[in-house]
Amino acid sequence: MSRYRLGIDIGGTFTDLHVMEEGTGTLYALKTPSTKEDPSLAVTNGIEELQRRYGIDPAEIAYFAHGTTLAVNTLLERNGARAGVLMTKGFTDTLELRRLRLPKANDFFVPKPISLVPRRHVKPVDERMLANGDVRTPIRREDVEAQARALVEDGIETLAICFLHAHQNPSHERQAKAWVEALFPDIYVCTSAEVWPQQREYERSLISVINAYVGGRMKAYFNTLQKRTTDLGMTCRVFSTKSNGGVMGVASAAERPVETLLSGPASGVIGAAHVARLIGDANIVTVDMGGTSVDVSIVQNQIRYATENTVGDFPVIMPAVDVSAVGAGGGSIAWTDAEGVLKVGPESAGAVPGPACYGRGGTRPAVTDAYLTAGIVAPDSFLGGEMTLDRDAAHRAIDSIADVLGFGRAETADAILQVTTANIYAELLPQMARRGVDTSGFSMLAYGAAGPTQVFMLARELNMRRVIVPPSPGILCALGCLVADLRADFVQSIWREAGALPDDELQAIFARLEDQARSWLADQQVDLDEVYILRSADLCYAGQSYEVNVPFPEVSSGDITTGKVVDWFHKRYGQVYGYTDTDAPARMLEARLQIVGVTPKPEIRLVADAGDAPSGPKGKRMIHERGQALEATVWQRGSLREGDVYEGPMVVEQYDTTVYVPAGFRVTVDDHANLIGERT
Amino acid sequence: MMDERIRLEILSNRFQAIVDEMAQVVSRTAHTVFVKETQDYGSVLVSRQGEVFAAPRRYGVLMMIGMPMEAALAYIGDDVAEGDIFISNDPDATMGMATHLSDVYLWKPIFVDGELLCWSWTFIHVSDIGGRVPGSIAPSSNEVFQEGLRIPPQKLYAAGELNKALLDMILTNCRTPDQNWGDMKACLAGLATAERRVHELTAQYDYASVNSTIDQVLDYAEAQARRVISHVPEGTYRYTDYIEADMVGLGLVRIHVAMTVKDGEMLLDFTGTAPQVRAALNIPTYSHDGHWMLITGLVNWICTQEPGIAYNAGLVRPMKVHAPRGTILNPEPGAAYGARYATSHKVCDVTVGALAQAVPMELPATDSGQGSILLVSVPDFETGGHKVSVIQPIVGGAGGRPVDDGVDGTMVILNFLKNIPTEIFENEMSEIVIRHYGLREDSGGPGKYRGGTGIEIEFETSSPYTSITSRCMERYIFGPPGRLGGHMGATGYTTFNPGTNREADLGKIDVLEMEPGDALRIGTQGGGGFGDPLERPAAKVAEDVANGFVHGGTAQEHYGVVLCDDGTVDEAATTRRRETIRTERGWTEPPLYGLGAAREAHSAVWTEDLEDAISEAVSDMPVQLKQFLHARLIARIQTEVDEVRKVAADAVPGILEDVRREVASSTATATE
Repeated sequence: MSRYRLGIDIGGTFTDLHVMEEGTGTLYALKTPSTKEDPSLAVTNGIEELQRRYGIDPAEIAYFAHGTTLAVNTLLERNGARAGVLMTKGFTDTLELRRLRLPKANDFFVPKPISLVPRRHVKPVDERMLANGDVRTPIRREDVEAQARALVEDGIETLAICFLHAHQNPSHERQAKAWVEALFPDIYVCTSAEVWPQQREYERSLISVINAYVGGRMKAYFNTLQKRTTDLGMTCRVFSTKSNGGVMGVASAAERPVETLLSGPASGVIGAAHVARLIGDANIVTVDMGGTSVDVSIVQNQIRYATENTVGDFPVIMPAVDVSAVGAGGGSIAWTDAEGVLKVGPESAGAVPGPACYGRGGTRPAVTDAYLTAGIVAPDSFLGGEMTLDRDAAHRAIDSIADVLGFGRAETADAILQVTTANIYAELLPQMARRGVDTSGFSMLAYGAAGPTQVFMLARELNMRRVIVPPSPGILCALGCLVADLRADFVQSIWREAGALPDDELQAIFARLEDQARSWLADQQVDLDEVYILRSADLCYAGQSYEVNVPFPEVSSGDITTGKVVDWFHKRYGQVYGYTDTDAPARMLEARLQIVGVTPKPEIRLVADAGDAPSGPKGKRMIHERGQALEATVWQRGSLREGDVYEGPMVVEQYDTTVYVPAGFRVTVDDHANLIGERT
Repeated sequence: MMDERIRLEILSNRFQAIVDEMAQVVSRTAHTVFVKETQDYGSVLVSRQGEVFAAPRRYGVLMMIGMPMEAALAYIGDDVAEGDIFISNDPDATMGMATHLSDVYLWKPIFVDGELLCWSWTFIHVSDIGGRVPGSIAPSSNEVFQEGLRIPPQKLYAAGELNKALLDMILTNCRTPDQNWGDMKACLAGLATAERRVHELTAQYDYASVNSTIDQVLDYAEAQARRVISHVPEGTYRYTDYIEADMVGLGLVRIHVAMTVKDGEMLLDFTGTAPQVRAALNIPTYSHDGHWMLITGLVNWICTQEPGIAYNAGLVRPMKVHAPRGTILNPEPGAAYGARYATSHKVCDVTVGALAQAVPMELPATDSGQGSILLVSVPDFETGGHKVSVIQPIVGGAGGRPVDDGVDGTMVILNFLKNIPTEIFENEMSEIVIRHYGLREDSGGPGKYRGGTGIEIEFETSSPYTSITSRCMERYIFGPPGRLGGHMGATGYTTFNPGTNREADLGKIDVLEMEPGDALRIGTQGGGGFGDPLERPAAKVAEDVANGFVHGGTAQEHYGVVLCDDGTVDEAATTRRRETIRTERGWTEPPLYGLGAAREAHSAVWTEDLEDAISEAVSDMPVQLKQFLHARLIARIQTEVDEVRKVAADAVPGILEDVRREVASSTATATE
C-alpha cells in the first residue's frame, strides 16, 4: 500500500492540492475552486477529486498539512468575533493610539486607522505593575468581574486581557483570566503575556487582541475540517502552516490562530528554499508574482525572519518569514495620466473582473493583457487550456490606451511590460538595501502564476546572474507544506544593560524558554527525526536604537554567559554595520528561542509532468519586446529534456504558467526538472 | 528609439529606486534616535542646475523637493572633480538650503566619462553641533552663533581624499563626535550607492538619454502641478494666524499670507508677517521660490489631489514666494534658527487656511498645530551626571476632512512621528511613572466630520531635581480653527499636581522643575471640525458618545443630538434641539472659519487693517530697530486698547511717532 503526503493551500480563488507518493516522490497536482463561505468544503471536494482522478485513497494519506488565508482574511475584512479587552487603568487607549505613525505620507485624506475593538469594549482594570515587575496597585476580583460582566452584557464573544508590564510579571493577567473563566466558562480568554510576552504594550496587546478576534472562526473551521476529513476516512493528524514557515497541530492552531496570519507567503518561501537547497544555490531572491503584486524574499542559505511585519494596518511582531510585496502584478491596470504618460498600477483588476482577456467583463488593460498582446502568452494554453483567454477583449483594452499614446497595439503592450518591470525594480531594490543585500550575487527563483512570465525581464534589469524556474511554479506553496517542520518561537523581554545581568539569571531565562518549547513540542505528539533548538538575543549599544539579532552558536542553556553573548554581539554588529565599538556598553533587549522538530521526510524528486507533450517544439510565434519583433520558439514544458540547452527568445508553456525567456538568455533543464536560465 | 514618454516613466522609476535605496542605506547605517524615530534625514538626486529631480516619498524628510541647492552650488563654483564630497550646514552661506545648524548636508558630483551628469545629496540631523546648550537647539537662543558651529560649503573629500583637518575641526566642536561621524558615514554610504546606481543606469541608457530625462521629469512634475493649480479659481486669498511666542517673552507673532492664484501658479506673499525675532524661531528662506519650509501644506494638497505626481522640484516650481527681508520668514543673516519647526507648522496652517477660500472641499480643517517633544532629565546619582529621555511626542489631533473625521491623537503633517511605549520608557527611567496616556475625550472640534481628539498624558516623578522641557508648545490661546461650519478644537493645557491642593494651571511650558511626588498632566489640542455639526448623522454622534470620543453635553450643545438613557438617539428631542441651534446661530451659509471666541475677540481689536498698518509702519527700518519699535508699538497699542477698546489703522503712524519720542526722551533722561 502506498503512503501519501498531502499539502493544501487555500487561496482566494483556488484551493491547490499537491500529493506526493512517499515511495517514489511522484507529485500530483490539482486545482479546485475555493469555497469562501465554507472553506473546508473545497478541501473535501479536492480530496474526493484526487481519489477519482488518481485513485488516492484518503486512508492512505499519512501526513496532511494545510495553509489557509482564513485568519488573515478575517482580519483584513474585519469580520471576526466581537472581542472585548481588559487593560490597565490609564492605558485603555493603547489600541486607539497605536504607535501614532500613519500608513501614508503627503495625503490629507489618508484613511483614519480604525481599531479592531471599539473603544467602549476596552475596559479599565485598576491594577498596576512597575517596570521591574513589582506591584504598584494590587488587582481586585470584584473590579475584574464587574468590567468583564459589563463587556459580556454588551455582547462580546471573546476576551483579551492586556496589562502593562505583564511580560515582566504576568500574575495579574493570570489571576484576571482565572476569575473571568470561572464566571464565564464559555468565553474564550487569552492574555497578552501567554500569547507573546514581548515588551511594548501596543504590539504585545495587539497580538492577543487579534488572536481573540480571529479565534472564533478559526476554531470552528478546524473543527469542521477535522470532522469532514475523518468522515472521508482520513486517519492522519492535520497540521496547519505558520507565519514562521513551520507547522503546528490544528489544536495549537485553534488556540493560536494569530500564528497563521502570514503563513501563505511563508510556505512559498519554504518551498523555494527547499528547491534552492536541492540544487545547491546559496543566494536566492524568491519572486512570487500574483495578481496585484510581487512577493519577494531572500534566502541566503537560511530563510530570513522579520519581526516588523504588518498585516493590513497592524504590526505583528512575532517572527515571520521575511516577505515583502513590491510593484505590480498580472492584474495591475495600465493607464495614462493627464500628461499622456503611461502608468501601471497600483489599481488592480483583481480576480473579478480580472484582466480583459479573462472575459469576465474587464475592459481596462491589465499586465496579463499585455503578455497576451505581446505574444508572450497564448490564448489557448492558459491553465493547460482549461480557460481560453479572450484575445479580442485584450486587444480592445490595449487599443484604448494605444490610441491615447499614439502607438501601435504591440508597441503599447511592449511599453506596458517595460513600465511594469521598472515598477517592480523601483520597489524591489530599496527592499534589498534595507536588508543589506546586494542582488548582483544572487539568483532569482520564480513562482506564482505570473512569476515565470516576468522573471527574466526583471532579472535582466537587475543584473542577476541566474534565473530558476521550478517544474511547477504553483507547487512551491504546497511543497512548503509538505517539507515544513514543527517550529515554534518563544521570547522573553529583558531590556537591561548586559553588564548588569548575572549569568545565572540569563541562564534561567533560557532554561525557562526551553521548558516552554519542549512542552509545546510534546503537545504536538509527532514522531520526529531530530529536535534542535536555536537561541538568539536582540542587543543594541546603549543609547542607540538599532537592535541586532545575535544568533548563538550551538550551546546548551546552562553554558550561556552574559560575557559570551556580548562578544557574539560585537562580532555580529561588525558583520552587519562594518564597525564595532567594543568599549560601548551593550543592552540586552530580547531573549529568543526557536524549537524545531524535524519531521521524517522522504527524498523528494521534482519531476515534470510530461503528459503527452510532443518531443520537439510546439511551434513559433512573434514576440514584441523592447521595440523589437522577434520570432520565439514555443515549447511545452514536458518536451524539454534534461541537460539540453535552449536559446532565447523562447516561450515555455505549461499547465499553470508560461515561461518567457528573452533573447540574450539560454536555459538548461537540470536533474530536478528546473529550468536554469543564464545570460549568453 | 524608445518613445520619450515611455522612457520618462521608466527612468523616473529608476531614479526613484536610487533615492529610496539611498534612504535605506542611510537609515540602516546611521544609528541615532533622530534618524529612527523622527526620520530626520534626507537623500535626493539633484540636477546640474541645483533642482531636486528625484526624492523619496516615504523615507526621511519628504520636503527636500523644495530645498534650494543653487546657492550652495554657486558658492563652490567650478572647482568640482570626480571623488569630491562637499559639506555644509550653514543657512546663510547656502541661502536657505540648510535651515538650522543641526542639519549637516553632504553632496557629491556624479560624473559619467568625465562629464558632470548630476549630484547625489544627503543630509542628516546630527545629535549635537556645538553651541550653548547640549543638542544645540534652544528656543531662547537669539543669534546663530549660539547655536553651534557653522560650516560654509567646502570639500570634505577632494578627489577621494578625506580632509582630515576639516573633519577634526568639526568633530572637536561637537559634544557627540563619534555619533556625528557615524551619521556622516551613513550619508557617505548613501552617496556612494547613488553614484554606483547612476553609473549602472548610464551604462544601460546613454548619457544623453539620462541627461535629457532629468529635465523632462522636472518639467513633467511642473506640468502636473500646474494642472492641479489651474482648477483653483483665480484670485487672492488671505489668511492670518499667530505663533504663541509668549513663552520666550515675545507675545503673539503674526504670520500673514496673501496667496494669489493665477495662470497655474501661486504667489505666496508674506508681507505683513511679523519682524524676525530674537529667539530661535526664524526660518532662513531667503524668500526662495518653493522653499521647503513654506510649502508643506501645499505639497500635501497637490499630492492628495494627484497621488501619482512625479515627486521632484518641478512640483514646487509654480509656488512663488515673497517673504520680505527682516521678517521671521526671511531674517537677516545671523538670526537664530534652531526651533524653526513651530514657525513652519504655522505657515502650513496659514497657506492651507488661505487656499481653503478657493477650494474648501479639498482641504482639512486645521490640525492641533503642536509638534512638541516632551523630554525629562533626572540626576544620575551614580555618575554625577544626568539621565535624559523622551517621554512622548506631545501632539494633538488632525483636522476634520471633507470626506472623513480627523485622525485621533496625531496629525497628517507629522505622519511619520512614533510614540514611545510606556513599558520601554519606564524601564529606562524608573524614577518616572506614567499614570495615564490616552486620547483626550471631547477635544475634537465638532463638525459634520469631527476633528481628531488630542491626547492626555499624566506622570509623576520620584526623583529630586527632575527637569521637564517641551519645545514648541502651541495653541494654548487660539485653538485649531474649524472649517465650513465646523468648530474649533480644544486648546492645550498643562496642569501641575492635578487633583491636589497644589494644583496649578501652567499654560505652555519651556522648562519645568519638579520635586519628588510632583505630577504633571498635559492635554493636547483637538483638530478643528469640518462642516456643520448639525449635519452629522445623529447615530454617528451617539456612537461617538458611546465610545467616549464626544461627551453627552457636547452632543447636545453643539451637535444638537439628545440621547436617551440607554444611549440611543431621542429623535424628537434631537429635531427640536437642532432647530433651536439653527435659529439661534443665525446664519444660513456656514462660516468658512470657526476661529473660536478667543481669536474672534482678539481679531475684533487687532483687525487685519491694524495689523497691516503696524507691519507697514516698521517695514523699512533696519532689523534691530524694527524689532525694538515693533515690540514697543504693540505694547503701546495694547495699553490704548485696554483703555479705550479700539485703535484705528490710520492712527498707527501717529502712535509710532509717540513711541519714538518717548524712547528718545527716556534716552535723554537716562543720559542726564
